[in-house]
Amino acid sequence: MSLRIAPFLPELLRSLFKKPVTVRYPFEKTPVPAGFRGNVVFDPAKCIGCNICVGDCPAEAIEIIRVSETEKKFKMILHNDRCIHCAQCVDSCPTKTYRMDGEFEIAVLNRRQLKIEYK
Amino acid sequence: MEFKVQLGPQHPALHEPISIRMTLDGEVIRDADLRLGYNHRGVEKLAESRSFIQNLYLTERICGICSFSHQTCYTQGVEKLMELVPARRGLYIRTLVCELERVHSHLLWLGVAGQEAGFESFFMYTWRDREVVMDILDWISGNRVHYSMNTFGGVRRDIDEMQRKKILDTLDLLKQRTDYYLNLAASEPTFVGRLAGVGKLSRQQAIDLCAVGPTLRASGVPMDVRKDDPYAVYDEIPFEVSTADSCDVLGRAVVRVKELIQSYRIIEFLLKNLPEGPFKVKAPRKVKPNEVYSRYEAPRGENVHYIKSNGSDKPERLKVRAPTLANYPATIAMLKNGFIADIPLIFAAIDPCICCAERLVQLDDGRGRGRVLRFSELRAMANERAKKIDYTKREIAWPF
Ligand code: SF4
Ligand code: SF4
Repeated sequence: MSLRIAPFLPELLRSLFKKPVTVRYPFEKTPVPAGFRGNVVFDPAKCIGCNICVGDCPAEAIEIIRVSETEKKFKMILHNDRCIHCAQCVDSCPTKTYRMDGEFEIAVLNRRQLKIEYK
Repeated sequence: MEFKVQLGPQHPALHEPISIRMTLDGEVIRDADLRLGYNHRGVEKLAESRSFIQNLYLTERICGICSFSHQTCYTQGVEKLMELVPARRGLYIRTLVCELERVHSHLLWLGVAGQEAGFESFFMYTWRDREVVMDILDWISGNRVHYSMNTFGGVRRDIDEMQRKKILDTLDLLKQRTDYYLNLAASEPTFVGRLAGVGKLSRQQAIDLCAVGPTLRASGVPMDVRKDDPYAVYDEIPFEVSTADSCDVLGRAVVRVKELIQSYRIIEFLLKNLPEGPFKVKAPRKVKPNEVYSRYEAPRGENVHYIKSNGSDKPERLKVRAPTLANYPATIAMLKNGFIADIPLIFAAIDPCICCAERLVQLDDGRGRGRVLRFSELRAMANERAKKIDYTKREIAWPF
């Protein structure tokens, strides 16, 4: 192939009249895909307390606590500051207690606010 | 007169911490020595205390760019240990993500090369086009960087008909752009002038110094794990190993662009021949005592994981050899007799991922006498430290 003078020029000129491809976040937001792995959401009614999710979570972000002596009732504490949003808990749970929502703006100034209790 | 100059570990030309000790004669590098160990993260040690499933996500986080390479290498190794035959559809989807990752990684590299060569608009355009493939990955896996697609026995998500069609459609755009880059890389005088003849590595040197990946292939050696030791479904896919004979940075750029074109071919083949059936099979939790050596052709070259199991649900040992580590000896050879101004370009040409390659612990006593710690000494130190940790405080939130 032979060298040419400024073969880049046509592309450059074409781009001059296009609008920027960057999105003006936070004023404009691109939608997240359907299978996006956002925050973990827990449904206390379904949990049977088998603790598989606690053992499988790579970030040790889940705590399952029994709330009643007599009934099989459990609450979950999610340490969302440790969660790496891998969705292994969603896969591991035998009763489909977990799902992931589409939220991604979860930054806070105090990480203690990221401790979420579901009951 | 010769000078000794140290570059790094923190230097604007290097994107990650590494230090080069050079002996200079004017502006020419006569000798170079690399010093590693500025970003040791202890991934291998951590892996010993996690179960096989938890390690899926740990190995993925060894690298941010070729995350899927490390995860797949590890997954394939553990599948061999489990004597598990993964689902065929799962293997096709796994290979698809492998190739999509190669596309995004090579486009990223092209941009970096453009930037290091002072061709900023090239950087902007390749990174704009890279968004297309990032969106595809985001769309089929749920995230842009850590896809978390692998699981033992297949993949975690299926792809549906709509996704299949959409990927095939967007592939045309990528192909068109890549052809344009190939033309540009070969005909733009400033780009060619800056890259040609820089960082020479002869064919014999590349073989002797055990270079891997595009660095090796740009020296005319057609070695690729996908062809030499096919994993997943690569033995069924028609593709060619891309090589170049110029043995310089320009050759490495051309090899990567040619690999992009091959990757599009592979992706097209995979999507058109996607078998029906389940995308994963059930895997056992415990693994019989054994050991395995798993190889994988990452975008940067051959990636190796050694895994040893002891019958429990945790690995006894995980050893990671990232491709960048294998390319260091060749980098030193490339730097020799080159100019200081070429360092960023030569370094960028091996596509270094420095944190992924940090394994060895070496202590320097400050008087120039290096000392390598033996594993037994390290273990004694770790045990000593572990005794001092107050486990009762584990639940306390981290002070911030
Ligand atoms: S998404 Fe992953 S890290 Fe987060 S709670 Fe679930 S298993 Fe743990
Ligand atoms: S795996 Fe599911 S059912 Fe078992 S403890 Fe966790 S949330 Fe509850």
